[in-house]
Amino acid sequence: MNFFRLALILSTMIAALPSSARAADRRDPDWPCVQPKVPQMSVAAMWDGPSIADVGNAWQDDPTIKDLVVRLAARRTPVDAAERVISGFITGTDAEKQKKAKMLFAGLFDSLSQQRSEIVSGIERVARKQKELADRIRSDVTALHELEDKSEQDQIKINALADQVEWSTRIFEDRRKTIRYVCEAPTAIEQRVFTLGRAIRKTLD
Amino acid sequence: MSPQISNRGSKPMRWGFLVSVCLLMLFNGDASAFTAYVSNERSNTVSVIDTNKWEVIKTIKVGQRPRGIALTKDQKYVLVAVGDDDTIQMIDTGTNELAGTLPSGPDPELFIEDPDGKRLYVANEDDNTVTIIDIDRRVQIGDIQVGVEPEGMGISPDGKILVNTSETTNMAHFIDTATRKIVKSVLVDPRPRFAAFKQDGSELWVSSEVGGTVSIIDPAKHEVKQKIEFKISGMRPEPIQPVGINITRDGKTGFVALGPANHVAVVDGTTHQVTKYLLVGQRVWHMALTPDERYLMTTNGTSNDLSIIDVATLKVVNTIQVGQQPWGIAISEH
Repeated sequence: MNFFRLALILSTMIAALPSSARAADRRDPDWPCVQPKVPQMSVAAMWDGPSIADVGNAWQDDPTIKDLVVRLAARRTPVDAAERVISGFITGTDAEKQKKAKMLFAGLFDSLSQQRSEIVSGIERVARKQKELADRIRSDVTALHELEDKSEQDQIKINALADQVEWSTRIFEDRRKTIRYVCEAPTAIEQRVFTLGRAIRKTLD
Repeated sequence: MSPQISNRGSKPMRWGFLVSVCLLMLFNGDASAFTAYVSNERSNTVSVIDTNKWEVIKTIKVGQRPRGIALTKDQKYVLVAVGDDDTIQMIDTGTNELAGTLPSGPDPELFIEDPDGKRLYVANEDDNTVTIIDIDRRVQIGDIQVGVEPEGMGISPDGKILVNTSETTNMAHFIDTATRKIVKSVLVDPRPRFAAFKQDGSELWVSSEVGGTVSIIDPAKHEVKQKIEFKISGMRPEPIQPVGINITRDGKTGFVALGPANHVAVVDGTTHQVTKYLLVGQRVWHMALTPDERYLMTTNGTSNDLSIIDVATLKVVNTIQVGQQPWGIAISEH
């Protein structure tokens, strides 16, 4: 095993490990994102219109609302198009408008809230895998040192273990970059809910 | 604007002219015509807003990762910390164009000017230092070692004490500006982001983003005398992440930006009770009061807009789209 190769692997690994200064949210040390962990969205952070507490799952029983929720929640629907659909749909008497607004917002909130929760769980799963991988890399490097220190070196074993360490480190680094990107997804979902909620709210003014 | 009245004009014409000038001045819209400057962290721009028309009148391209933004005391320049370029850029308020730079130390985030307008204290986020800049000579004149990840900067009204908060060690460091030494460190709740003195120097307010509180500190005794907690009906505690604080000059009302809770808390400056929560845009971090304190403007980093709050009625009266991820805001007097 080439000393320089080992040094390169080690330094890459050390650089790739999350810095304790920036990473952790004190309330959840396993959370890998720089944004503090917010497990669930709150209606109160998104909506100051009429209370949707009484809607429950009723929005799912209305086929029109259900279809609209799917369409408006989809990322592929541009926000300005979604806003136009909203203002075209929420029409009628004040009572009718209020009912439609509540059902539509409740549906959007529930649907996107669920997507967001899945992403948060996904981030936590990947963070756990990263921790396990880091532990494995550390123990493999220790084993490599022991093999190197032996008076009679088993070069085949050393090369195989060095390859494993290099490969694991590459996966670790790739996953780290992915985590940084995925950490922005929960906020992107909140952004959509907030913007569409505002558009719905506007129709009631 | 002074009307040139010719001595040779006829009397009725002169009066007519005077009257129309007066009428023009009376109906020239609102008296509060200030200019707000907003740093857009992601689009690397500064938005310039006319507070009379509530419109963006210019977007200035600046360096990378603009965050901390403030007017010089003489109102001649807007200073903006461009963290990824390791410098502070200066914008001439007369032309709204870039006009030079100030040294800042590495990765500047927030900074504060001393009450005389002579020195700038800059928090260098990645370097655990506060860098001291002579504004007129545009040179670094010293630095102070502080806690890990310095951000919040407050200065006592007499300029004698600088307070710097450390995000990781959860400290508010009290620094003697004459000796440049930390004289006391006060422990606050996790991840302090912002520090603000009352105008009379009687209290220091420090926000803890992860702790979810604002600590009211007695600056003479260096003691936390009270903590403000925030509870919004129907909201879990996690999104309630206090960052920016603004206190009216009379010390009677404080405003606290609550981050992804998307609300600003209105706080009684004497009892420290929250009297109201106002829904603004998303991820509200920093705010500024107009010089006449009629309006509070907030930067909403995720909805990419500003909310305008009427301070007398405590209502959100307007929303203005700006650049991407607006961070800081400073309002000039003209």
